[in-house]
Amino acid sequence: MLDMTPPKISTIADRSTGRARYTSDLVPAGTTLVGIARSPHAHANVLSIDTSKAMALPGVLDVLTPEDFSGVALGHHIADEPILTDRVRYVGEGVAAVAAVDEAAMIAGIAALDIEYEVLPHAIRVDDALALDRPIHDNFPDNVARRFAAEPGDWDAEVKRVTHWAEGTFETAAVPHAYLEPRACLVRVDGNELELVSGTHAPSMLADQYNKIAAVWGATVEVTTPDMGGSFGAKWEHPTHLVCLSFAHRLQRDVAMVLPRRDDMIAGRTRIAMRIFMRIGATADGELVAKQTKVWADNGAYSLHGPSVLLAASVRVDNLYKFSAVKAEGQLIYTNNIPSECFRGFGIPQSAFAQEQLVDELARKLDLDPVEMRRRNAVGEGDTSVHGWEVTSCGLEDCLDMVRDRIQSHRNDSGLVSDGRFKIGYGLAAVIHCVSNSGHDEATDISNIIISVDPDGTICVASGEVELGAGTAEVLQRTVERELDIKRGQFRFVLGHTSTGPFGRGSFASRTSFFMAHAAIAGCKIFSENCSKLVDDLGLETNASIAEIAKLAAQKGHAESLKATAQFIPENVVAADDHGYGNIASAYTFAVHGACVKVDTLTGKTMIQQYWAAHDTGTVVNYQGAVGQVIGGVIQGIGMALSETTAVAENGQLLNPGYLDDRVPTFPGMPNVDVHFAATFDKNGPMGAKTIGEPPVIPVVGCIANAIYDAVEERQYTLPMTPEQVWNSLNTKVQ
Amino acid sequence: MTVVNTIRVNGVDHEIPANWQAKRLLDYLRTELKLVGVKEGCGEGDCGACTVLVDGEPMCSCLLLSGVVGGREVTTIEGLPREYLDKFSSACETHGGVQCGFCTGGVAVMSSWMKNGGTETGVEPVSKLLEGNICRCGGYQQLTNAIADIN
Ligand code: FES
Ligand code: FES
Repeated sequence: MLDMTPPKISTIADRSTGRARYTSDLVPAGTTLVGIARSPHAHANVLSIDTSKAMALPGVLDVLTPEDFSGVALGHHIADEPILTDRVRYVGEGVAAVAAVDEAAMIAGIAALDIEYEVLPHAIRVDDALALDRPIHDNFPDNVARRFAAEPGDWDAEVKRVTHWAEGTFETAAVPHAYLEPRACLVRVDGNELELVSGTHAPSMLADQYNKIAAVWGATVEVTTPDMGGSFGAKWEHPTHLVCLSFAHRLQRDVAMVLPRRDDMIAGRTRIAMRIFMRIGATADGELVAKQTKVWADNGAYSLHGPSVLLAASVRVDNLYKFSAVKAEGQLIYTNNIPSECFRGFGIPQSAFAQEQLVDELARKLDLDPVEMRRRNAVGEGDTSVHGWEVTSCGLEDCLDMVRDRIQSHRNDSGLVSDGRFKIGYGLAAVIHCVSNSGHDEATDISNIIISVDPDGTICVASGEVELGAGTAEVLQRTVERELDIKRGQFRFVLGHTSTGPFGRGSFASRTSFFMAHAAIAGCKIFSENCSKLVDDLGLETNASIAEIAKLAAQKGHAESLKATAQFIPENVVAADDHGYGNIASAYTFAVHGACVKVDTLTGKTMIQQYWAAHDTGTVVNYQGAVGQVIGGVIQGIGMALSETTAVAENGQLLNPGYLDDRVPTFPGMPNVDVHFAATFDKNGPMGAKTIGEPPVIPVVGCIANAIYDAVEERQYTLPMTPEQVWNSLNTKVQ
Repeated sequence: MTVVNTIRVNGVDHEIPANWQAKRLLDYLRTELKLVGVKEGCGEGDCGACTVLVDGEPMCSCLLLSGVVGGREVTTIEGLPREYLDKFSSACETHGGVQCGFCTGGVAVMSSWMKNGGTETGVEPVSKLLEGNICRCGGYQQLTNAIADIN
């Protein structure tokens, strides 16, 4: 029997003093190590794999090849990603795996594999993929994995009212998630019991999938989530998990794999690069009437969450303004790039980059203040948006006021003025976002909690959600402390541990605090009632605290009678229809960002002087955590705006598989971010709270682009807006 | 030439076994000495998660071979004075300096070096001194404020 004691949930003190334990910290010395043989080709058939030389090496214990996983594939919407592949679709894809007694033997084992390839024509750009004569997936002959279309409103009638259009074609880049902790997993085994220890967004969902696959081996899988060094949308099901599970089961040995940074980047995931054509039409007095969007999204080799990201990018930003008619279409196109994936913001930063610039352009054309333009057109409390979102609270006005006022005083007081070479500019951008998205998978958009009493009287609060490093544990702690009037220490909690915790949908889609806190409040209420009942039944002192009652119950053998389970299921939400229509969330959040930039017209370099971020997130439960989420999102947005991209050679090779070459933001040059929260209360939220999570990253690219325009009067159509890019926009005028 | 193969780690002397001499200090610390507060974020000297003090100076333990630090004194996050760690951690708590925490140990080691007179305060801004520490959660502003708050 495996010891399935859940890991301790770390505190901030643990994480700041080196006491938190991440997956790789839990790997004992001498554990069998797993490594992957990766394809050097972007598109190829694997003709043969000779494992005999590798197997003969001292220290090599086992080798897995595609045959060992035939018929098994991963994917949220389209099951298209093999575990090990006999048809390679990107450089770095896993073809075979080696388990060995140590790193040296593992590396030697990989090198000794004889793999014969038949190279196929490949495509790393979406246009080439659409024209490729050999499909990347045989059952998708045109290389289009998913198409999406929506057309709410009477387009023909509405466009007649349009007097001014703004339009453009925008290109965004594939950005690696670049979480600081590389992908790692440890599998513990005892007979047919397997425990996968790995940081992930959704342990229950992984366990569901993996159990179906492991059932064929006669095995069962539990998932344990230790501390997690960031993910931002990347760490879900992954072929490496199944490779490790299979080795552990075959060898009856615990195995581990910790990816080196380079491997994590070449065989990781990225933000979905998109080309977006967009046009927005307004009336002469500034009413936004009609909007058309066309999205070409680079799916990379496999689909993962791509179809939902495509939908989000095609229509979600429309909900911010009261458009009367919208025409949207999108294609998700297979290429021979690294599989792309959701990344904080779910495709919406990409389309906000386009929309917020076009709204800015229309405001200028119509000689309207950009704040006024947004105020006049944005949805508000009580409105139903063009795609059916029902807004129950809205702090956008407050956010607009805050950013407008701060920009005004900065203009007056900062002393920054454009001179010949250096130009100063101000910009702003707004966003609407949903708290979760039931359209994704309605049946499981729930959160569960179990509150029980340990033998020593400690109260145990178990949720199925996980801590990604974004403050989930603190939210749960504060909720329980307030509801039961107890302190951490008198209770412990369990997160992301499938063998003891309840099912949880997982931490993503800006849903966690909202769903988990709702379930926790309901669970605490039942637990309190159970405590009162026990007090009555046993004739105890009525003023005993919850902690004392739990202790007594444990001593006297009544722990079981206190146990409380609760589930939160949101009301009045529906799955979006095929055209993205429907009230998909219980609440919607808003934000407005503002930036002051200085652009060096000689080099094209953009320097952010000051940044403002105003958010409507309902009641703020964990203030420091929320501020951290906002600033962190802004910093990631600045990376996406100014420097981050994956550079891919013509042969499909990633040229910048590391931090410095990818140019993630570092300490120097980061602006001060002034954070503000609107005072809103959402009737559907736990304690009036909505959530934070994704929105902080969404408006950043559009906001900075608008500031650059204000400085140099050139629109920015391509991300990242590197010095070269901006310089080119200034110096290559179409004659 | 004599090979000095003893190192003092967090105040305790260790003989570096022969098979560890040509391996990274990072692995020696994490695997052999179980000092897993030292993290590997990149293995290439870019991220600073593996920062330790070698004779009081901050260095990336992923770029050093164990044999090279023979005869020297190494301090990891586990070896920083308790009192300093308490201050650092409460400053992080006040300013929201910690999210996932994977970068935080490296930043703690750097900040203790700064506070310990490793650099003349005020000569270089904190942000410049920390340019080798990547925080993908984007906690730069909060960490800068937290460090400024430690006396
Ligand atoms: S692990 Fe050493 S600098 Fe990143
Ligand atoms: S707190 Fe996550 S990388 Fe810094």
